[in-house]
Amino acid sequence: MNLAAVGLGVAVAVGVLTALAAVVVPAPMRSTVTGAGTALTGAAGVVAGIAAMTGESFTVALPALLPLSGVSMTLDALGGLFVAVTGGVAVAAGIYGISYTRSHGLDARLVQAVFPLFVVAMLLVPAAASVGTFLVCWELMALTSLLLVVAEHRRRPEVASAGRWYAVMTHLGFVTVLVGLLVFVAHAADDSFPALREAGRQLSPGVAGLVFVVTLAGFSSKAGILPLHAWLPRAHPEAPSHVSALMSAAMVNLGVYGMVRVGFDLLGGGARWWWLLVLALGALSAVYGILQAAMSTDLKRLLGQSTTENMGLVLVGVGAAGLFATSGDRVLAGLALAAALLHVIVHAAFKTLLFLAAGSVLHATGTRDLDALGGLRPRMPVTTAAFGLGALAASALPPGTAFVSEWLLLQALIHGLPASGTTGGTAAAIAMPVAVAAVALTAGLAVATFVKAFGVGFLAKPRTAAAENAYESPPSMLAGMGLAGLACVVLAVLPTIVLPGVATAGSVALGAGESAVTGAVTLRLVGVVGSLSPLVLTLALVAALVVAAGAVRVVATRRARRVARRVVRLWDCGAGPLSARMEYTATSFAEPLQRVFDNVVQPETDVDVSHHEESRYLVQAVEYRRRVPDRIERRLYQPVLAAVAAWGRAGRRLATGSVHRYLGYGFYTVCGLLILLAVTR
Amino acid sequence: MNETLFVQLLNLACGALLLTAVLVLWRRELAVIIRVFAVQGVALAALVAVLAAREESTELWAVAAGVLVLRAGVLPYLLRRALASAGEARRETRPLVNVAASLLAAAVLTLLAYAVSRPLVELAPSAVTQAIPVGVTVVLIGFFVLVTRRRALSQLVGFLLMDNGITAVGFLTTSGVGLVVELGVSLDVLLAVLVLQVLTARMRETFGDTDLDELRELRD
Amino acid sequence: MTALGIVGGVVQPVLIVAGSPVLVGVMRQVRARLEGRAGAGIGQPWRDLRKLFRKERVAPRGTSEVFRAAPLVLMATTTVVAVVAPFVTTDPAIGPVADLFAVVALLALGAVALALAGLDTGTAFGGMGASREMTILALVEPTLLVAIFALSVRVGSTNLGAIVSSTLHDPARVISPASLLAAVALIVVIVAETGRLPVDNPSTHLELTMVHEAMVLEYAGPDLAVIEWASAMRLFVLLGLLGSLFAPWGIATAAAPIALLVGVVALMVKVGLLGVALAAGEVFLAKLRLFRVPELLAGSFLLALLAVAASFFLA
Repeated sequence: MNLAAVGLGVAVAVGVLTALAAVVVPAPMRSTVTGAGTALTGAAGVVAGIAAMTGESFTVALPALLPLSGVSMTLDALGGLFVAVTGGVAVAAGIYGISYTRSHGLDARLVQAVFPLFVVAMLLVPAAASVGTFLVCWELMALTSLLLVVAEHRRRPEVASAGRWYAVMTHLGFVTVLVGLLVFVAHAADDSFPALREAGRQLSPGVAGLVFVVTLAGFSSKAGILPLHAWLPRAHPEAPSHVSALMSAAMVNLGVYGMVRVGFDLLGGGARWWWLLVLALGALSAVYGILQAAMSTDLKRLLGQSTTENMGLVLVGVGAAGLFATSGDRVLAGLALAAALLHVIVHAAFKTLLFLAAGSVLHATGTRDLDALGGLRPRMPVTTAAFGLGALAASALPPGTAFVSEWLLLQALIHGLPASGTTGGTAAAIAMPVAVAAVALTAGLAVATFVKAFGVGFLAKPRTAAAENAYESPPSMLAGMGLAGLACVVLAVLPTIVLPGVATAGSVALGAGESAVTGAVTLRLVGVVGSLSPLVLTLALVAALVVAAGAVRVVATRRARRVARRVVRLWDCGAGPLSARMEYTATSFAEPLQRVFDNVVQPETDVDVSHHEESRYLVQAVEYRRRVPDRIERRLYQPVLAAVAAWGRAGRRLATGSVHRYLGYGFYTVCGLLILLAVTR
Repeated sequence: MNETLFVQLLNLACGALLLTAVLVLWRRELAVIIRVFAVQGVALAALVAVLAAREESTELWAVAAGVLVLRAGVLPYLLRRALASAGEARRETRPLVNVAASLLAAAVLTLLAYAVSRPLVELAPSAVTQAIPVGVTVVLIGFFVLVTRRRALSQLVGFLLMDNGITAVGFLTTSGVGLVVELGVSLDVLLAVLVLQVLTARMRETFGDTDLDELRELRD
Repeated sequence: MTALGIVGGVVQPVLIVAGSPVLVGVMRQVRARLEGRAGAGIGQPWRDLRKLFRKERVAPRGTSEVFRAAPLVLMATTTVVAVVAPFVTTDPAIGPVADLFAVVALLALGAVALALAGLDTGTAFGGMGASREMTILALVEPTLLVAIFALSVRVGSTNLGAIVSSTLHDPARVISPASLLAAVALIVVIVAETGRLPVDNPSTHLELTMVHEAMVLEYAGPDLAVIEWASAMRLFVLLGLLGSLFAPWGIATAAAPIALLVGVVALMVKVGLLGVALAAGEVFLAKLRLFRVPELLAGSFLLALLAVAASFFLA
């Protein structure tokens, strides 16, 4: 019995049934039914994905289901990885959503019904084995996610704007993917992936390059890569938090999946400049994304921009893998791709945890603004611990989750230099150090960003009444966070359990070969020298902590009379008790960084000084406002939008107002075309 | 059934299709136009029935019955209801192109349809495919009616003529485009008619008239 | 894990824990003498630690476990690095942790713990220190990793023991352009990470000029003792790394007692010399404005990048 097939079938069936149940079931039970059903769907997806990653793949073809192309699905190891990741995130988000949607007024029938359908669509995209199926599932995913993003549009007007951006960009991405794949299909026998694979071997470099670049545009937009990333920091904050988790931790991965599938598997590797382009885009997105996140004071927007950064890092790995593959170095290519895929898994775990914790904060305080939070630790201890774990993971520090994947990525890049020097040309030789520098800069900035997010948002004293009145979340939200946290911890300490599956997935893309990383407790690189053991590292740290604490306790209490600590005043320069107003805010924390990166970030500052009525020399209040606009939006999007608007205004002259004139346009065009057809035959 | 009977019946049905289309273009009274449209629905159903008898396929017989019910029954009934609520405006006064010119245009469109469909016919010459130009003509005439009539109801009939023609071409080229597609298209058409019926009623309430040429404010 | 590794794993932490206050004492004494003062003597840091451990433990109002745990985390990370890195022996005690990236990341973890403690106090000084420290850390990371890249290219591995052994086998490599450039870049990085002049003045009393001191302003008693000790250990460890990577002679390659003694003495001499040089340099340098520090760090980044280019083109 093919576990992958059973798992995927069960997932689809349960998802659709949950959607139907959500429409039918009365309002009090709706959240529970949807949440539990989605979690079950996710669990079945995880089973299917893991089964596929261990080598058990399955193929099914249903030609009658869709007109013209039929439905054809194949779940192999590469698709299985993404299915497993999506399933895992769906389990946590589903359980979380049980209480979250109940209390946020999100339990309208439509929103609840669409949620499991979104998960099902995301589970089906990596399993598609023909262009028609792929595009249908892709569009289904886009539509369901759009409906979920605008779920709260009645309560907040920004949601509508975010929804518009998301709708337009996701459909533009869809169109580019469609065009690229159709150009590919035009050169192949039919639209199934095996046929495309055959044709990919015989495509001319020009056509292959065109297909790659066009599909890259669409897939990179979905993954939130520059320059088509503008929807991500808008849509992810405005969506409900469990939906944001799904979008950030599962949906953006499918852009990466598309790139790997089309670039490596279907087109068969391709030219070096493709992968240099991917590497460059990845490095740029990583640095830009984390820079924007470092400047951001909106908690969920920060997390969304961090997603851009992490996807950039994944693309650096994918680009490096492609570069090594075109130079013939299979070992390093396998290592780089393993690093990228491991980072996908790891990012899904910690991003889910972070978004669920942020949702918890939003639920308790009603605000996402870091400058208004603070002091949440005594009021929301579990959420604080969860966010702390996620922040440790996101800053790529040991013993966090992303440390291992970042280590693998750096190893691949570092060992890539001599190899690319001999066979690869100077372009690759320049690319490797620059890529290492970019990865390092993102690592440093990520540390700063998450120290800011955690320290300003959760520690010290509450800055506003909203934060003061915070309370801990209901149990199902805590359970969802707990699941994600458990995944983070397991992946941090024992990443070797997923590495064989990652290697199998990588071999689908790169061709058969041995695993690049082996070992149970210690990761040992194959073919190059390098080893790391996260488990031993964590144990060493814990042992050192225990020893240090014990030694301090022994030494310090030999002379002291009491063991307990005395509570004392903080240093306030003798001026009296400190208020929460004197704490550093997120804006002030990021200010030195903003000054350093002034040229890149170009913030807009507003200083408002209001004086006393009696004298212009006495200042009553100073208000400082800083806005960090997205510079790429300024330079790239606004001119394009202005040109489109000008074009539209010019086209308005065609609209005279008479219905008959409009109908006439259509008629004349049709007749003209027919005459043309008749004449040129 | 034997070959000659089949060909005769087929040509009869197609001829009825074309004739009814021209009649819609010729007559000015709205009630007559609707009745002619109903007849065209019967002709279309007959066409499909003939093909069904030839292919001996129950699916096609089911489709023929569906077409009969929808296009000769339900749609004309809805149109008549809309007409009844329209009030005194029961005649198409002053079409944008007068009747004589319309008929000349219909002739030109027929020629165009034949010219365009010739490669299609040559692909697989048979009695069935030779009737394709008729279907294309009905489409073009329907489009023409849609463009040049003032009354919303006449435009609706033109739209429905187009759909009849497309359905006819569909059945003549492939002898059945699949039950699912036919069902989908029929539902679309039904929906369009319902929506336009409501719109016509609203227009009459708001403006007192359903002359679309009076609506010149439909722009920014 | 070989016998050499185990011995090293025991000797190194003991040496570093015991010797780092002495190192700080030596540096302060050198600075004092150069500035014309008598100085407090080499043993003063030990006396300060003893005094602090006797004091009562306090908890400032409003702080949490993050504040109380940060000194221990700092001490723990530095201890792990002390155990693992090749200072006295080339074989690491815990092999799978002796990777250069892991060591750098552990040191960063310690700094992060202190920054979070600074934010936890809720005072403006704590936040200021944390903010500045994180900015410097973010800018130091690229230089550090690219310098490691330059060092590891020739060796083919980022394992610390492998780098040190290969330099021992091929001493002429130390004076290659790549190595020298990487050394200069690493010196600037170490100055920034340990908070010495010209990046941060460790003996300042003006809060607005503080980076490291501002984060630990609220600590007192045993907590402060742990932090001072751990900071001293960080300095020792970083100087020791610099010495081991660029002047590894004297490091024990066999588990013989003589070799170990030579290794210990060599380490003390190297770290001592580097510390004296650093202290002497501090006398003649003024502290840079905070917003000039990125320029300094950008310069060191450029040097590190040139080191990589040199190691590739002059291979």
